[in-house]
Amino acid sequence: MKRHLMAAAAIGLSATMMLTACGGSSDDKDDDSPSSAAPGGSGGAAPAPKDGSIKLVVADYGSGDGSTQKYWGGVISSFNAKYPGIKVDLQVINWDDIDKQVQTMVQNNQLPDILQTGGYADKVADDLLYPVKDVMSDATRADFIDSFLPAATVKGEQYGIPFTSSTRQLIYNKDLFAKAGITDPPKTWDELKADAEKLKAAGVQTPFGLPLGKEEAQGEFMNWMLGNGGGYKTGDKYTVNSQANVDTMNWVNDNLVKTGLTEPNPGTKNRKDVYTEFYGGTVGMVNSNPTMLTQIKAKYPNLNFGTAAIPGKTGPLDSTLGVCDWVMAFKKNGKKDQIRAFLDVAFNTENSLRFQQENSFAPVTKSVMQKMVADPANAGLKPYIDLLPKAKFYPLNDTAWDVLSPKIKEQLGLAVSGKSPKDVLDQLQKEAENAVQQQK
Amino acid sequence: MRETASPPTSRKPSGDDGQAAPAARRPFSARLRTALGPLPWISPAIILIAFVVLWPVVEMVRSSFLRIRRSGIVKGSNGTDNYKKLFDEPDFTHVLWNTMVWVVCVVGITIVLSLALAQLFNQQFPGRRVARWALIIPWAASVFMTAIVFRWMLHHSYGAINTLLVDLHVIDEGKDWLGEPSTAFPWMIGVAVFVSLPFTTYTLLAGLQTIPGEVYEAARMDGASTWRTYLSVTLPLLRPAILVAVVINLINVFNSFPIIWAMTGGGPGYETDTTTTFMYKIKASDIGESAALSVVNFGIIIVLVLLYLGVNRWNKEAD
Repeated sequence: MKRHLMAAAAIGLSATMMLTACGGSSDDKDDDSPSSAAPGGSGGAAPAPKDGSIKLVVADYGSGDGSTQKYWGGVISSFNAKYPGIKVDLQVINWDDIDKQVQTMVQNNQLPDILQTGGYADKVADDLLYPVKDVMSDATRADFIDSFLPAATVKGEQYGIPFTSSTRQLIYNKDLFAKAGITDPPKTWDELKADAEKLKAAGVQTPFGLPLGKEEAQGEFMNWMLGNGGGYKTGDKYTVNSQANVDTMNWVNDNLVKTGLTEPNPGTKNRKDVYTEFYGGTVGMVNSNPTMLTQIKAKYPNLNFGTAAIPGKTGPLDSTLGVCDWVMAFKKNGKKDQIRAFLDVAFNTENSLRFQQENSFAPVTKSVMQKMVADPANAGLKPYIDLLPKAKFYPLNDTAWDVLSPKIKEQLGLAVSGKSPKDVLDQLQKEAENAVQQQK
Repeated sequence: MRETASPPTSRKPSGDDGQAAPAARRPFSARLRTALGPLPWISPAIILIAFVVLWPVVEMVRSSFLRIRRSGIVKGSNGTDNYKKLFDEPDFTHVLWNTMVWVVCVVGITIVLSLALAQLFNQQFPGRRVARWALIIPWAASVFMTAIVFRWMLHHSYGAINTLLVDLHVIDEGKDWLGEPSTAFPWMIGVAVFVSLPFTTYTLLAGLQTIPGEVYEAARMDGASTWRTYLSVTLPLLRPAILVAVVINLINVFNSFPIIWAMTGGGPGYETDTTTTFMYKIKASDIGESAALSVVNFGIIIVLVLLYLGVNRWNKEAD
């Protein structure tokens, strides 16, 4: 065991050294180029910067298969066709590491110019970002779907640039439904419970998949709380333990978990594993994201599934959880004009469409949305896209959320593991209030 | 030929050194020079230790007093607030308790089983060489991989262990062992023991092989029973090996991360966390607080090891 640890430490150390070495060298390069490019870039409001360089750091959506690298390579070459003098330094980082590496960049004051990742609010709080109006033309800005703007705006100013999105639908196994004699997917919680009971009677191992483990508990909880008019925040204040939310968790716990209509111990089960079991045909229904469709198409073409709006307490949800990833522009290197030129190319309809299509994600701009909905190839994705204009987001514009979200992921599962849901939500409310305090 | 002749001549000065040793009256500068003499040879090691061991410790302690924002920006000192926040965590006591149970059980069970295994492997039997090699396997496999394999073997519906237990009619239907803290923790302890056994057994085996045959012969002559011989001859002579095995296991098990992370992730909630995994979780929301727990962990392990060594020495003197 000791050997393992020592070897792991040695590998970790050398990897860190290599990373720092790489980071250092590329940053040196970056630091050199602006000074040499300064005369050209110093045009201030000049509409078309001719030279300079920008550093672009993005998250890897392809889990290392190179598709993200290839996508951004394409964007950069279409950008360079228009602005041949501006060099773009691309760095693709996988999702597990990107937060940590960006934190290190901030600590060492070696900031990228453009960053694409999961959240932006913490950088606004520390005054690191350009407002979007400074780095994007009005035409490009006006194209974003309106429902994203509240989550993109901090104190009346937009800082977050939506990059890609997804919404949630109920996905169900049609073969298992037929076996249990169910014709239509459930629309209300009571119907959901009745259908789950029928599935169980028909021998389905997991009638309803409820991943409340730490991977994505905050999302699954939101799917449920929206069905009862609840939410994480009411106005400016966190209301995690509101009566509506407590009632919701109590209903889920009493009617689905204690009755054995979910997988055992749902508070410890992660989304990834529950989805895998759905693909395997042992789960009757589960709340899904559109990425599941890509997986099913690629690996489980024989799975006979349908999607429907997520059931609420009295009727199906008309606004569901929307999830969004973001682009942001850093002020430190002062390359406003180059950034603006690049973002206008990166967010044109052609590039943005290509990214969402390749990954089967939902769009962030109206023009791409129109094109995707009109394309019959996207028939499966369409119901998810249709939910976008009314989607509800996490309080992403609030830094306290970044602190609270991991706490929800870790603790919410307790509400279905024998602890009283009210106690668990009370504790999370306390965490929320501490988080707000901590940000001051 | 000339080369083989040279060593004796070069050894002469060392004889002079030996004579110079009692010369306490030599001037201070000369003594200093002697003291610093080895420096050029050991300095690479000192620099390495300073860089790889001391510097991170200093940084760790320093960050535990800083106010670090989530973006990575440091907003000056935070006094002892990180520590206050840590000790106010409602789950902290529970996690400390878990850690104690974890360390005591894993190290205790490992040592007892390893003593038996070492005794077995010290005997002559056909296939001993193969058996000794086989023991290395849990050690050679990645701990994380072993933990993941166990996680899937324990899966509630198609895990191999559940299938076996159902087929043997030990249980009626598959059990979700890792979903409930009361069964998850013992399983994790089991896996930790499994991966700790090889190292410990080999350490004790090495210890057994240093015990000369004569002492056993003497014990036999005096008519001691096998059990009496083990307690009064083998165990006391094994003390140095047991000491090494316990100290190294204490540190490894206390710091063990992959088994818990791969099998339950500390869940549900923080029910199966130890301070090591808890520290990793806190990091997601507050780096300063996480650094504070690192310092606490560092302190605990140093105190544990010193206590153990102290008790051991005291025992020896009492003997």
